[in-house]
This record gives sequence, C-alpha cells and structure tokens, in this order.
Amino acid sequence: MSADTSTTEAITSPPEQATRERLYRYALFACAAVSILVTLGIVLVLGYGAIDFFQQYDPVAFYTGTEWIINRDKLGVLPLLSGTVLVTVLSAMVALPIGLAAATYLSEYASERARSVLKPALEILAGIPTVVYGYFALVYVTPFLQALGLPLGTFNVLGASIMVGIMILPMVSSLSEDAMSSVPDSLRQAGYGMGATKFEVSTGVVIPAAVSGIFSSFILALSRAIGETMIVAVAMGQSPQLISVADPLSNVFESNLPMTSAMVQLVQAENAGGVIYQSMFAIGLTLFVVTFLMNLASNRIAAHYREEYE
Amino acid sequence: MAVDEGSWYGQDSGVSQVRGQLFEAICLLATSVGIVSVLILLLYVTLDAFEPLTADPGWHLVFLLTLVLPATLLAIYYYRSSDPAGEVAYVTTGLPIVGLLLSGGVLVVFAELLAIKEWFALALSLGAVGVVWYAHKRGRPSAVLERFGILILGTAVSVFGLPPTALARVAGLPKRIVSLRELVLELPYLPLSSLQVVATLTLPVAALAGLFVARRRASRRDGVVAAALIVTGALFGPVIDAVVGINGEVWVVLVTMTAVPVAVYIEGVVRRKEGVAGLAFPLVLVGGVAVGTVLVNALGFAGPDVWLDWSYLTSAPSTTPEEAGIYPALVGSVMLLLVIVAMTFPVGVGAAIYLEEYAPSNGLVGKFVTLIEINIANLAGVPSVVYGLLGLALFINFVHLPSGSVIVGGLTVGLLILPIIIISAQEALEAVPDSMRQASYGMGATRWQTTRNVVLPEALPGIMTGTILGLGRAIGETAPLLLVGIAASVGLAPAGFLDLTGAMPRQIFTWAFEPKPEFRYGVLAAGVVTLLAVLLVMNATAIVIRNKYQRE
Repeated sequence: MSADTSTTEAITSPPEQATRERLYRYALFACAAVSILVTLGIVLVLGYGAIDFFQQYDPVAFYTGTEWIINRDKLGVLPLLSGTVLVTVLSAMVALPIGLAAATYLSEYASERARSVLKPALEILAGIPTVVYGYFALVYVTPFLQALGLPLGTFNVLGASIMVGIMILPMVSSLSEDAMSSVPDSLRQAGYGMGATKFEVSTGVVIPAAVSGIFSSFILALSRAIGETMIVAVAMGQSPQLISVADPLSNVFESNLPMTSAMVQLVQAENAGGVIYQSMFAIGLTLFVVTFLMNLASNRIAAHYREEYE
Repeated sequence: MAVDEGSWYGQDSGVSQVRGQLFEAICLLATSVGIVSVLILLLYVTLDAFEPLTADPGWHLVFLLTLVLPATLLAIYYYRSSDPAGEVAYVTTGLPIVGLLLSGGVLVVFAELLAIKEWFALALSLGAVGVVWYAHKRGRPSAVLERFGILILGTAVSVFGLPPTALARVAGLPKRIVSLRELVLELPYLPLSSLQVVATLTLPVAALAGLFVARRRASRRDGVVAAALIVTGALFGPVIDAVVGINGEVWVVLVTMTAVPVAVYIEGVVRRKEGVAGLAFPLVLVGGVAVGTVLVNALGFAGPDVWLDWSYLTSAPSTTPEEAGIYPALVGSVMLLLVIVAMTFPVGVGAAIYLEEYAPSNGLVGKFVTLIEINIANLAGVPSVVYGLLGLALFINFVHLPSGSVIVGGLTVGLLILPIIIISAQEALEAVPDSMRQASYGMGATRWQTTRNVVLPEALPGIMTGTILGLGRAIGETAPLLLVGIAASVGLAPAGFLDLTGAMPRQIFTWAFEPKPEFRYGVLAAGVVTLLAVLLVMNATAIVIRNKYQRE
C-alpha cells in the first residue's frame, strides 16, 4: 500500500518536506538492511576463516579424523560431532516427550486460569541465562544423580544434557501449543460427534492435525540444543571422545567435548596460534550451516501449517 | 473446544475414562516437572547464597513476626479486596527498587567512567548543538539537508574540535579548533559538582515530570509547581553535603532518579483515590525491617552468615572466598548494557518501523523486504557462539579494536539481540490499529509525521517491553563474551569503553572452575543470585509496562 502513496506525497507536499520524507525513508531502510549485513558478515567471516584453515589442514582429515588433540595438532571433528550428537539426543529425550505432553495439556485440558499461570512459568525457564543452567548441572544435578548411585564423573554428559533439555523445553511446549490451538474446533467437534472421548480426540485428531507444527518446534528445539554452549562448557568438561558403539552408556556418564565447547576451549587455549586457532572457524561454519538449515526447514514447515488452517 | 463428553453413551466405558484421566494427569505432570525442578534449583541456590540456617532461631522468629507476618496478611487482604490496591502495592514497592538500581547505575558511571565534570562539559556542548539546531529550524525551516549537515558538523566541532587543516592555516585560524567541551573543562571556575548534576540531570527530568503532571492534571501551574519542587528537592544536595555529610551528588541522583518517579506515581494514586490502601505495603516492609533490626540487636540474636552482602557487591574478585566480590564484573555488565542499548535500540526500532510502516509488498524492493524478514527470523536462531566468532573476526581482527574491551563485547552481544529487538518492535507496531494511521493520513500528515506522532507513541510501551526483555537476554549471554576475550576476572572496573572489562556471567563461568567448595556453594551462588535478581527486576518492569499498556 506504500509505493503509490509516496509518489502522491511527493507531488502534493512542499519540496523540503519531500526531501525530509525521503531522508527518513532511506535512514530507516538502512536500519533494516543491517540484518542482511550481519548475515553476510557471518557467512564471510566463517567462510574466509574456514578456507584459510582448509588450506593448511586437509578437509578430509578434518571431517573424518577420529582424534581431537590440539596439543598434537590432531584436529579430527568426529569426536566433537559425537559429543554434540550425544547432548542433542539426550536432551531431546528429555524435552520432546515432556514438551509435547505439556503442550497437549495447555492446549486441550488446562482451564483458562491454569493456563494463565503455567504458560508464563514455562517462559521463565527460557529466560534463565544458560550459564546458570550450567552451574545448576555442575553443582546440584550431578551430585544428585551421583547420590542416586549413577557412576558419574564431576563433569559428565548426563547432567548437562538434562539441563539442556529443560532449557529447550519451553520452546517445544509453546510452539507445539500454538500449532495445536490453531487446529480448528470443527475437527474436535467432529471427533466428539463420532463418540470419541477427549483422550481420543487429543491423541487421534488434534496431534495428527498439528503434526507439522509440532515437528517444526522439534527441529527448532534440536537446533537450539546443538548450538547451546554455556551449559556444556560448564558441566561437560573438555575430554573429547567418540561414542563407543559397544557401550554408548559409558559415554553418557563421562565427560565429552561437543563442537560449541571445543570453540570455547580453543579460544581459551593459551598457545593456540595458526592452524589450531583457525580450526575454530571451520567448526563454527559447520555449526552455523547445520543450525541454519534446521531453522530454515522449521520455518518452512511452520509456514506450511499456518497456511493450512488460517 | 470444551465439548462436554458427558455420559450419553453410557456409563460402561469405565476403562476409557481411566485411560483419559491418566493421560491428563501425565500431561499435567509433564507441564509442571520442568517448572518445579527449576524452582527447586533456584531455592537451593538462594539458600546457598544467604545461608539462613546459620542464623539464630530467635532471629528468624523476630523477622517472622515483624516482617513476614504483617506483609503476608496485608498481601492476603489486597488479594481478597479490590484489585487496584494490590497493583499499587506492587508498583510502589517495585518502583523504588528500579529507581535505586538506575541511580546506582548512574553513580557507577560517574564514579568509574565519566567524571561529573566531563559529563557536565559533554552535556553543555551537546545542549549548545541543540540550541543551534533549533535556531536554524526556526530561521530556515526549509533547508532540511543543510540542517542535517549542521547537526553532524556541529556535534563534531562542539564535542571533538577540529584537527589542524590546510584550510585553517590559510585562513589564519589557530592550528586546532578547540571543542566547546574542552573549553568548558578549562574554565577557571566550575560550579559545585552536585550543582553540575542538578543542571544536567535534574533539570531535564524536572521538565519532563512537569510536562507530565501539567498534562495529567490539565493545569500548567501544577506542572510548574511540580518541576520547581523537584529542583528545590535536588538543591538540598549541596546543603546536606555541608551539614550532614551525605554526599551531595548521591543525594541529587537519588532525588532525580528514585524520588521523582515514586512521587509522581503516588500523586496519581492519591488524586484518583484508587487503591490508596496499597501505599501501606512498602511502609509495612520498611517498618518491619527497621523494627526487626532494632529488636534483633537489642536481644542479641545473630543474623545469618550471608555470602551476598554489601561487601560482596562492592569488592573485587579474590582468591580467598570470604573476600571475593563481584563489583568490577557488575560495572562491566552495566557498561556493556549501555553499549548494547545505544546500538540496538535505534537500529532495531528503525528497522521495525521500515518493515511495518514503509516496506512495499511488491516489486523488487518488496522481494528484498521478504528476504530481510526471513533473514531476521533465521538470525534469531543462530547459536550465540557463532556471533562470538563474528565479533572476534570483525571487531578485533579486522577493525583492530582492543580484545576484551567494553565496546567489542557490547557490539557483539548487540548484534546477537538485534533480531530479537526488531521482532518484538514489529509486533508492537503491528498492534497499532490501522484506523489511527488512516485518520492521520486523512488529516494530511505525511508518512513520517504519522509514524512519529501517531504510531510510535502508541507502540512505545510495547517496544519498551520488548527491548527490556531483549536486554534481559543480553545480560546473561556468556558464550560471545568468551570468544571476544572479555576478561575472566578483573580487579578494577573499566574506566572507558576501550578498556578491558569483566562481566557478571563471565565471572560466574570463571568461578565455576574454582576447586574450593566455598566458591562453588557460596561465592558462585551469590553471583548467580545477583544475576537472577537483576533479571527479575528487569522482567518485572517489562511486565508492569505491558499490563498497564494492555489495559488502556
């Protein structure tokens, strides 16, 4: 509605006013364009740094190497990837079922009053700084799990993953609830008309109808878990390990080094110059590409379900 | 959706009812499990920070009777009686806290960053530019571009001065044109520093408050009286400094930042006669603390051995847990926030205005705008550690700003929360009804006039709410700070924007690896509680603004 009105303004208003209007328009446009510059900056910085790194270090060796020992210049990313996968899978096991059940409760069962208390309370979980979650994992959760008899080290995957799961929980619950609430009531009425109970309508009608929105929230939450840095940097320690296929449970109880905390380790390492320093950008690029694609996919799927029902 | 699945199909479906109830119970459990576990963790960390069990039982009993019991009874009374009293109690208790935090921030800036003298000179020179700008607007209203040039050049001359140029030498001018700011600093006589604060801080606040009161009471005289009262109150500062020994500058800042908003709010409550009972709540709190303290001292009950006390907030980190404090990191966080606000607020709101008010939906520009919107949504999901890499490569390796400085940390975190600010500002602008815009256009206003005079004032509370929530996110962000080299632990607060700085979350990260248990369960817990308390105050402020705005 804007392009045509601005030309009429230019014709009818005095010239200095038109100059001023144009000035403001350009200034505001520049503000909006900053976000594009930020993306370009990220891509350029990561791409340039990564190219620099791969000129000094064989990309094949980087992506297939099974050892990460920076003091001996062994930079294989697979142990870091396996650390990230461990955290993501474990935190998903915490957050996805709980988040989906919470969304079902909030959307289908909760009274107006219960919702008005529970929803903001869940949002508080998203507002707590992640370094605080890391502290919780290290100082309270791990000793608690040890007291339960689990053979955990001081720094371990399990405690950190539980906290990452709690951190991404509100994202799953609120986005899934949005998707479920936007399922039209007529579908529910039809279900009740067929004699279905509320349980059958919730699980058999609403959740399948909202599945694309739920799926999109899952992807977004997983992408958050992959990019989460502080919880793992505080509570998971710094010893990179490949998942042992024979006994993956042992990895869960021990320390590990996912990609994000590897970057923290690299930037803090005192003798890190040259190729080791540059490897940070290759890891960053990998992380950025993976999370960016996941976010893009999630937004696409979410846009799809919005189109379907609105 | 709430169709009652009554019993018309018979009572014999008992099995399915059990299943349904079980499902509902499981879902409720799932909703509460995250909340409850985090609440328990928060309880633990608070207990560790304050260690209430180290106090005498008598101490607890005294404060239970003087503080907790009356406050609880009053809260129950508010809850049961009329609605406004509870809100008044909430705001009159919270407003002084927010005001004190702001005053503390201003005093910290004066103490660490910008001596009052320098602030005075800066404010005067900026004011001079404002006067020139206004005079030009009056004299030559049509020369918009010229005025824009004068604004930029005038600021440059008046704040920084001009470097020696060939042109100046030819014209026979002195080598370097000294800035107005430096001239003020070199004046042989400057007024008392508390008077400088009155002139540069209290006067504008008094003018604003006066305008506000004048508009609300529809009386010019009342506005003038209010402004005069504020200035008089502040002018007591130098007197008190001489007589009682309270620092005059502290008094002036407290009056301006804390007493003025509280007084304006209370005046409104009393005048409307709505919820006046709520004013009792802060009095009961303060009275309870005072009576309790006197009693405890008289009876000789020892208080708890708290980690989070005044000396913790005002001393530097140390390797001895008992002496460790968070002051330099706290100041660092305040200064980072200053940079973040200065950067993200104008750019973020500007971008949101463009996207909501100006952006065309078709044509080449329209496609670009769609790209921008998708891009902003995606930027909000980029891991924070990647922003740290961006800041490291861009600001430190490319622009060569000092590693770990306030400006680098602030800009990096600013880029991170920019998409959040844009999205929330867009939501606030979207909520302004279109009929208001149409009415303004119908009066012949241009797009910018409509935006500035109609849309922005209407959307401002929403924008403020979103910005404060975004800043809450920024203050806890740690990963980017790690990557741009913010100091693990600093003994001195930064004195300028290019100085090395610490930050609260960074300090917490450092302490997490101290092997001594006193650090893990004491110092660290106190740091976490400090960070969370700042966050809590920020979020509560945002929620109050949002509630007030939604009602009107």
